[in-house]
Amino acid sequence: MGIPLLATDVPRWLLTILPLAWTAVTAALIWQTFRWPQIQYRHASYRVDAQGIEIARGVVWRSIVHVPVSRVQHTDVSQGPLQRRYGLGTLTIYTAGTAYARVNLQGLSHASALAIRDHLLPRRSDDGV
Amino acid sequence: MVSERRLHPASFFFAMGGHAKQLLLPGILVLISARSGSGNWDTLAMVFIVPFAIAAAVRVLSYRYRFDDGELVVRTGFFFRNERHIPYGRIQNVDAVQNLLHRVLGVADVRIETGGASEREAMMRVVSLDAFRELRDHVFEGRSAIAADRPETAAQATGAAFVRAGAETILHLPIREVVLCGLIEGRGLVVLSGLFGVLWEAGLIDNILGTLFGEPTSGRGMFRAIVGQGMPSPARIAVTLVAFGTFLIVVRGFSAAWALVTLHGFTLARAGEDLRLEYGLLTRVTATIPMHRIQALTIQEGPLHRLCGRVSIRVDTAGGNGVDPAQAQRQRLAPLLRRGELERFLHAVLPDHDPEAIWNAVDRRGFRRKLTRSAIVVAFAGAALAWPLRAWTVPVFVLLFGWAIVHTRQWIRRLGWATTNTAVLFRSGWLWRHTTIAPLGKIQVVAIRESPFDRRLQMAGVIVDTAGAGGESHRVRIPYLSRDTADGLAATLAVHAARSTFKW
Repeated sequence: MGIPLLATDVPRWLLTILPLAWTAVTAALIWQTFRWPQIQYRHASYRVDAQGIEIARGVVWRSIVHVPVSRVQHTDVSQGPLQRRYGLGTLTIYTAGTAYARVNLQGLSHASALAIRDHLLPRRSDDGV
Repeated sequence: MVSERRLHPASFFFAMGGHAKQLLLPGILVLISARSGSGNWDTLAMVFIVPFAIAAAVRVLSYRYRFDDGELVVRTGFFFRNERHIPYGRIQNVDAVQNLLHRVLGVADVRIETGGASEREAMMRVVSLDAFRELRDHVFEGRSAIAADRPETAAQATGAAFVRAGAETILHLPIREVVLCGLIEGRGLVVLSGLFGVLWEAGLIDNILGTLFGEPTSGRGMFRAIVGQGMPSPARIAVTLVAFGTFLIVVRGFSAAWALVTLHGFTLARAGEDLRLEYGLLTRVTATIPMHRIQALTIQEGPLHRLCGRVSIRVDTAGGNGVDPAQAQRQRLAPLLRRGELERFLHAVLPDHDPEAIWNAVDRRGFRRKLTRSAIVVAFAGAALAWPLRAWTVPVFVLLFGWAIVHTRQWIRRLGWATTNTAVLFRSGWLWRHTTIAPLGKIQVVAIRESPFDRRLQMAGVIVDTAGAGGESHRVRIPYLSRDTADGLAATLAVHAARSTFKW
């Protein structure tokens, strides 16, 4: 018989495991798409004060990043098409640092992103290099 | 009208030299056609080389600069004219590089850098040494009154004349120290592999192997003999060890030679607020680092350093616009320094630095966490080696585990951090030790990191980000702190950073 049949070539145990694995992966993907962002959202927060901005994020590996106002080089507020549809914006803060040369803050309303940007903009006049 | 300066007449050759890469292909074409005897090689030469020569001549002849009040004005271009005004106050670096040819002709390649631009503001290729000195004096006098009493020595093309004029020498390495530096650093492998590549290309390797082993295939045969036949005899092990030892010594020798060439006459001096470096036997480098541009300073100490009672010091500086990490520069401020002189040196380079820092250890639970990590690695290594080692597995495993405990204990003991009024300090490493000093005014971002393992034990790590930290920089990343300590430290540092204004 020259025609290799799937059912005869694949061992039986694999045939029972494969559908289970497929179901598990699909369930995980669905969970990742619908549930994971909610969890991420719950663990993401920020605080802006006169000193600077503090951004907390991460579910498993968590980090809190402080960027002092005096270290902000420049800022971006960007909006993708979907973000525009829902009135959201992403604030990107650039510093002169190395590992944290750019710090992102996503999921802000566009208005508050602009407000934070205005707050962080360097106001010092003695910008001597 | 202020008189304008021109480049040195030799500039034309260096400008042509700068085109060497573009000229390589046409040059080869010309050579080939000249060899093959087809008569039009001179036409080809005209077509390819003459335009470059004209371009170089135009560029050199049209390059003018003059010293106005408070600014340097550089005019370039013949058809498309460009006039650039560079205020003296904005100039960060005036560096000169001289290779052998430059030194024979008594000229230098001068680069002027400012803080704001990503490119070099002005490249003067090339000017005479007197012109360089004049340029530098103008720039520095324009910037501050540091040079009021600078005794301008007679024009000396050699030695550390640039650096020493009106400056206080902080460090000068005599030949002995330079050789020692090479021996300690062990860059010989780089030199050797370069040499090997050249020999290989020249086809000399086969000859050498042939004379050494009689036949070309014996190299492979020897390797097979050592590895393939189970446990080798003690004599063979001894021969291999001696050969390996000789190899290491030869490599160190090459490293010393390399240091002699690149670091010859290393001099670090301080003139006002600037540090000036000068070094190199063939290619002579003169660099200026404004002291306020030092972003972080790292003291390195390997086992050989400790044996000789020396340390080596590097600094991170942020060049150009600093936002692009590729602009980061690491400078060796002191390739080799006696341990006893460290305090004096630090005081000269970082005057604000407080030497009386009180070191804090990391949390005690750090030992167990680090050991768990090492144990996992050892377990995997042991499992992987179980088959080839057979009966030896258990002793080897015990040995590795013992080493892991010793190493972890010493590593955790050395790990520490400190804060002073002006800087945050971090040290790590046991055999190869690093201590980094980051001035508070240079802190960019402060972050707290918490892994799941940290969270279980209420711990966290603190990361202090500075500008100019390259890939191999020793960064301030303090692990294994209790959560409260981490929060407190991060808050303190963030407040300090927020209060100070950052200057490049």
